Amino acid sequence: MTSDVFLFWFLALLIIGSGLAVLLFTNPIYSALSLAMTMVGVAAVFITLQAFFIAGVQLIVYAGAVMVLFVMVLMLFDIKAEVQAFSSGKISGAIKLISVGLLSGLIVGGIIMSQKSFVGEMTKDAVHMAEIQKLKKSTSPDASSKELGMVLFSKHIFGFEALGVLLTVIAVGTVALARSRGGTHHAK
Amino acid sequence: MQSNMFTDISLNHYLVLSSILFVIGMAGVLLRRNVIVILMSIELMLNAVNISFIAFSKYTQNVDGQIMVFFVMTIAAAEAAVGLALAVTIFKRFKEVNIKFFEHLRG
Amino acid sequence: MGQDVFEITINCIKLVLIFLMMVQAVPVLVWIERRGSAFIQNRFGPNRVGPLGLMQLLADAVKFLTKEDFAPDKAIRPLFYAAPIFALIPATLAFAAIPMSVPLEIGGYVFKIQGYDMNVGIVYVLGVSSLAAYTILMAGWGSASKFSLLGALRASAQVISYELALGLSIVGVILLFGTFNLTEMIHAQQGPLSFKAFGHTISSAYIPNWGIFYQPLAAIIFFAATFAESNRLPFDLAEGEAEIVAGFHTEYGGFKMLMFFIGEYGHMMLGSALMIIFFFGGYGIPWVSVEDVRQWAGGLTDSAATISVITTLVHFLSFMIKFVLFLWIFIWVRWTLPRFRYDQLMDLGWKTMLPWALGNTILTALVIFLVS
Repeated sequence: MTSDVFLFWFLALLIIGSGLAVLLFTNPIYSALSLAMTMVGVAAVFITLQAFFIAGVQLIVYAGAVMVLFVMVLMLFDIKAEVQAFSSGKISGAIKLISVGLLSGLIVGGIIMSQKSFVGEMTKDAVHMAEIQKLKKSTSPDASSKELGMVLFSKHIFGFEALGVLLTVIAVGTVALARSRGGTHHAK
Repeated sequence: MQSNMFTDISLNHYLVLSSILFVIGMAGVLLRRNVIVILMSIELMLNAVNISFIAFSKYTQNVDGQIMVFFVMTIAAAEAAVGLALAVTIFKRFKEVNIKFFEHLRG
Repeated sequence: MGQDVFEITINCIKLVLIFLMMVQAVPVLVWIERRGSAFIQNRFGPNRVGPLGLMQLLADAVKFLTKEDFAPDKAIRPLFYAAPIFALIPATLAFAAIPMSVPLEIGGYVFKIQGYDMNVGIVYVLGVSSLAAYTILMAGWGSASKFSLLGALRASAQVISYELALGLSIVGVILLFGTFNLTEMIHAQQGPLSFKAFGHTISSAYIPNWGIFYQPLAAIIFFAATFAESNRLPFDLAEGEAEIVAGFHTEYGGFKMLMFFIGEYGHMMLGSALMIIFFFGGYGIPWVSVEDVRQWAGGLTDSAATISVITTLVHFLSFMIKFVLFLWIFIWVRWTLPRFRYDQLMDLGWKTMLPWALGNTILTALVIFLVS
C-alpha cells in the first residue's frame, strides 16, 4: 500500500465523515465548522490530483472566506441548537429519503457500470502508465499554473469576462440587500 | 491483471467519492430546515462537482476541468454572498431562519 | 519526501525542527517585547530573574503551566478547548513553506532548508493562513461571553477585509517575478539592480536587485496588512482592552492563553518572513552572490560537504538578521502607535488600501507589458 493510496482512503473517509456531520449536527455552528473541515479535505484531494493552484484557491476562497462568512452570520444570529432541525412529516420525509437513496444508487451504479467503457479504456495499465509519465513531465515547476493561465485567458476568456460582470452585479446587489430595511412587508 | 479495488486508485474512486458527497449535500437540502444549513448543503454539492471536475481533468490530461472548477468557485462565492445577505435581511425582519416559515410569505 | 530511509528521516526531523524553532522563538520574542517596550517607555522591564531578566522566560513558562485549567460555566467545551490548539496550526503549516537558506548538499543528498517546496508556495501560504479566522471565531463563540463574541466578530471581519489588500498587493510581486515559487523569487532578487527596458539593460551596481525597489507601494500595503492579519497594534481591535476587556481570549488563562500567544507570534513571524522574501531578497546577501560565498568557503576548506554547510549557515544568518529586524519593527510599531477606531480600520482597509493595491496591480501589469 503506497502513500498515495493511503492518502486517498484517509481523505475520502475524512470528507465523507465531515460531510455527514454537516447533515447530522443539529447545531448549525457545528455544521458550519464541519463544512469548513470538508473544504480543507477537498483541497487536500485536489493536491493529490496535482491541481496545486486550484487547491490553494479552494483554501482561500472556500475555507478562508465563504465559510468564515457563514460562521460569522450564524454567530450574529445567535441560533442555538434547533428544537426541530429536520423536516417533519412521515410521507414527505419518506419520499425525500427514497429519492436521495435512488439518486445515490443511480450515480454509484452508473459509475461502476461505465467502468468497462470510457473509463475502462483510460485506466488500462499501459495507457495509465503513459499518462503518468506524461504527467510527471508536464508538472515541472509552474507548468500547470502557467498552462492554466494560458487556457483561462485564451480559450475561456468570454467566461472569465462574464464572471467579472457577474461578480460586479453580485457585489452591488449584496450591498443593496444589506442596506435595505428588509422584505416587502411593512412591520406590524 | 486483476486490479485490486483498495490499492489501485482510479478515476472511479474519485467519481464515487464525489457522488457520495453530492448525495449527502442533496439530503441536506431536502431534510434540513435551517435556511443557512441548506445554503451550506448547496456548497457541499458544488464541492462534490469540483472533485469530479478535477479528477476528470487529471485523468484526461486536460486543463479545461480546472478552469471549470475556477468558474464554479466564483459562482459559489457569489451565491453564498447573496444567499447570506438574503438570510440576514429576512432574519433581521422576522427573527426566523426556519424554511417552513417562508411558505407563509406572500408578495 | 525522499528516496531512501536516511533522507526521509532527515526530512522528518527537519519538519520537527522548524516547528520547534517557531515555538521556541516565542519566549525570546516575549522577552524582547517586554524589554523593548520598557526601553521605549523609559522603564526597566523585567530584570530581576537571571541576567538581563532572561530567566523571566522560564519563570513565565512555569507560571503558565501551573495555572488552574479554568473554563467558564456556560462555555461550549469542545470549541473552548479546541480553539487554542487550532490557533497553532495555520501559522505552523504556513511557516514550514518558508525557504530559510540555500539547500544543503551532503554526499549526493540535497536537503532544502524549508519544510516543503511547493510550486504554488504563495497561494499555499495565503490559503493556510486564512484558516486563522476559525480559531478566533471558535474561541469567541466557545467562551459564551459577550466580550469574546464581540472581539471574535471584529477580528474575523478585520482578517477577511485585510486579506483582500494583502492578496492584491502580492499580485504585483508575482507579476514582477513571474512565479509562485518562493525560492525562485529569492533567486530572481540576487545580484545588483538590473532590468530590461525597451531593449536596453539598466543596472546599478550599488543597489541590490530587491523587490522593494520595483514595488515600493506593494511593500507598504503588504506590511500594513500583515499587522492587521496578525491582530497586532495598531490594528488589535480584536482585543482593544479599553472597550472589550481582551477580546476573543477574555476567558482564557494559563497555557491556553499562551497558545493563542504562540499563534499570534507565529503570524508575526510569517509576516516578516514573507516580507523578506517578497521585498528584501530572502536569504540572499546584498552585493554578494551565493557563488561568491561558496568560493570564499572553498578558500577555507577542501571538503565539498563543509563548503556546503558553511554556505548554508552564512545564508541562514543573513535570513535571520533580516528576520529579527522585521520582528523588531513589529514590536517597535506596537509600542509607538495608538490604536485605530473600528470604522477608521474598515475605511483604511476597504477605501484606501484596496484601491491602492488594485491600482498598483494594474500599473505593474501595464509597465511590464509596455517595457518588455
